[in-house]
Amino acid sequence: MSEKIVISPTSRQEGHAELVMDVDDEGIVTKGRYFSITPVRGLEKIVTGKVPETAPVIVQRICGVCPIPHTLASVEAIDDSLGIEIPKAARQLRELTLAAHTINSHAIHHFLIATDFVPENLMATAINSVSEIRKTVQYVVDMVAGEGIHPSDVRIGGMASNISELARKRLYARTKALIPKIDAHVDLIVGLVADKDLPAGLGVTNAPTLATHHTYGDRTKFDLDRFTEIMPETWYDDPEVGKRACSTIPLYDGRNVEVGPRARAALFGSYSGEGVVAQHVARAMEMKTNISKVVDILAELDTSAPVMADYDVTGTNKLGIGAIEGPRGMDVHMAQIADGKTQFYSCLVPTTWNIPTMGPATEGFHHDFGPHVIRAYDPCLSCATHVIVVDDEDRSVLKNEMVRI
Amino acid sequence: MVLGTYKQITLGRSTDKEIQKISQDGGIVTALLTFALDEKLIDGAVVAGPSDEMWKPEATVALSSDEVMAAAGTKYTISPNNWVLKQAVRQYGLEKVGIVTIPCQTMGIRKMQSYPFGVRFLADKIALDIGICCTENFPFESLKTFISAKAGVDFDLVEKMDIGKGKFWVKTQDDLISFPIKETHGYEQNGCKVCLDLVSEMSDISTGSIGAPDKWSAIQVRTDIGETVFKQAVDAGAIELKPIDEGKFGLEMLTKLAKSKKEKAMKEIDRRKAMGLPVPYKGSSEKEDPLANV
Repeated sequence: MSEKIVISPTSRQEGHAELVMDVDDEGIVTKGRYFSITPVRGLEKIVTGKVPETAPVIVQRICGVCPIPHTLASVEAIDDSLGIEIPKAARQLRELTLAAHTINSHAIHHFLIATDFVPENLMATAINSVSEIRKTVQYVVDMVAGEGIHPSDVRIGGMASNISELARKRLYARTKALIPKIDAHVDLIVGLVADKDLPAGLGVTNAPTLATHHTYGDRTKFDLDRFTEIMPETWYDDPEVGKRACSTIPLYDGRNVEVGPRARAALFGSYSGEGVVAQHVARAMEMKTNISKVVDILAELDTSAPVMADYDVTGTNKLGIGAIEGPRGMDVHMAQIADGKTQFYSCLVPTTWNIPTMGPATEGFHHDFGPHVIRAYDPCLSCATHVIVVDDEDRSVLKNEMVRI
Repeated sequence: MVLGTYKQITLGRSTDKEIQKISQDGGIVTALLTFALDEKLIDGAVVAGPSDEMWKPEATVALSSDEVMAAAGTKYTISPNNWVLKQAVRQYGLEKVGIVTIPCQTMGIRKMQSYPFGVRFLADKIALDIGICCTENFPFESLKTFISAKAGVDFDLVEKMDIGKGKFWVKTQDDLISFPIKETHGYEQNGCKVCLDLVSEMSDISTGSIGAPDKWSAIQVRTDIGETVFKQAVDAGAIELKPIDEGKFGLEMLTKLAKSKKEKAMKEIDRRKAMGLPVPYKGSSEKEDPLANV
C-alpha cells in the first residue's frame, strides 16, 4: 500500500516548490519528485531586442538571493559574444565580488538550516556568527561592485571603476580579520551537522556532478553540445506533477546532474563525500576557500590599473557563454548580440540543474528526512523557473520556446 | 526664524595664510574640512573640485587637505556634490564623509538620511555637512553667457567672481567689473525661484559672506555635530572669530536678504500652485509661518 506525502511549499528556501513523495508502509520514500511552482517571469524575453547593456541590469533582478552570479554570468556571456578581453584588474574585481558574495550566500543558508542543526543554547552564537560574516563580506561587495544586492558596477567589458587604495587597505584589513571568525563558524556548522547523526547514505544519488571551476567559473568547461533540455511532462512520471511544474529539465549527456559546492569539491578538490552531510560540509568549506581568495586578491590588486576594455557593441551574433559558479552551482547565461541588440538570451541556472536530482535523492529513507535532503541543496527557485504557462485556468504549458537552443 | 535654527552665529576666518590667499571670503569651508581631515574627524570630503574647464567645477572626492585646498573658492555654477556621495562611500571606501552643499543639496542630504531609499549604507556615513549661503545658482552656459554679455569680458580671462553689495563682480588681471545682481535674473536655474533657503538651514555648519566684512565669513553653527567640529577647530586655532555686527551691514542684512529670498520664493510658489503646477513646497495658505522652509 503506497501513500503520497506532499510538502507544499517546501520551507526555508527561496521561491516556491513542492515535494511529492510516494512512501511505503514503513514511511520509506519509494519515489520522490521535486518541482518548482514559482511562476515564470520571462526575464530572458524582456532583454531580447534591447541594447546589451540592459541585460545584466535586468537579469540580476531574477533574484535577490544571488544577483551577483547572474550579473557576472550575464556580462561574461556578452563579453564572449562581443569578443571582449577584460583587463586583469577587472577580472580580479569580478572574482573578488563573487568570492565575497558566495560567503554571504552560504552564511544565509546556515541561517536557514539553523533550526535543523543548531541546539537552542547555541542558536544565538550561530546567528551572530552568520550576521558578523555577512556584514563584512557584503561590505566588500558594496564597495567593489557598487551595491551589495543588485551590483551596479559590474559592466560589460569589465567594471565601472577600480576601488581606491584606501578602500583596498580597509577591505584587506577587515577580511583578514574575518578569517578566524569564518574558521570558527565553519567548525561550528560542520560539528553541528555531524552531531545530528543523520542516517548514513542520506541524499546519496547516482547523478553525476557538474561544475566548471572550483570558485569562479570557466566557460570552456561547459560543453553546449552535451546539454539537452526536456519538458517536465516528459521527465516526471506523474502527469499532474508534469503539468504543474514550472521549470524545464536540463540534462548533461542525457542525465540529470548535481551542481553546487559538493560538485565543485568533487571535481576540483578530490572530495569523495556524498549525500546530505557531504553537501553541508562542502558548502561550509567553500567559505574558507573564498575568504582566503578574497584576502589574496585584495593583497595583489593594483588599484591604479584600468578595469574597462574598449569594445564595440555591434556584435557578430556569436553565441556568447558566461559560466559562473554561483553559491548554489553552475550558472550559465547565453547571449547573442548583433546589430547592437540582444538577439537571444537564455539562462541555465543552478537550481534548475538540481531540481530533477533532488526528488530522487529523498528515496530510500523515511519521508521525515525529505526536507533535510531538499535543504542540503540550498534550492533557490526564482531563477530556476523557465517555461511559459499559456492558460492560467488549467495551467497547461505551452511548448517551451524560451530556452530553445 | 528666517535663518533657521542655530546654536551660535559669529564671524570667522581661517588663520592659515595659504587658505586666506585662495579662499573666496573667510576660508571657513576650507579651514573646517582640512581641519576635520587632519584630525580624522572625517576620512574624506565631497567638494566642488577643479575640472578640465576653467570655472566649471567637478564634484570630487578629496582625501587630503591638499585636494580640499585645490577646491577652494566659489564657483557660481552647479556642482552635483550629492551625486558622487555614493562613489565616496563605495569605490573610495569612506566611512565618515564630509560634504559641502548649497541649500537645495543640504535638503537632499537630510531627506536621504530620513528616508534612505536607494542609498543603502550611505546616508549613515555622512559625518559633516557644511552648507554654504546661496542666493541662486547658474547653469554653466548661463554663467558664460551673462559674464561675456554683461561684463563684456572673455570668460577665459576671469580670475575671480563674487557677489556682494548687490552686485556681481568679475575680476580679471586688469579690471574689476561689476553689474547689478538684478541683471543676472533670468539666468538662474528654474528651481532657485522657489527656493526658501538662503543659509543652508539644515546643515551642520553654514557659512557665507553676507553680513560679514571683506575676507571674513558669517557662520551659523547649527547641530551638535557641527558644534563639536567647530569648537575643536576654533580651539585648535584653525579659525579665528569675532562677533557679528548686529546692525545694518551685519545680522540685519543677512536677515533681510534671507527674508526677501523667502518672500520672493513664496510669491512664485503661490503663483505656480495657482496654475496647478507641481511645487515641492507648501503654499502660503497651507502653513502657519509663511516663511518656513517646508
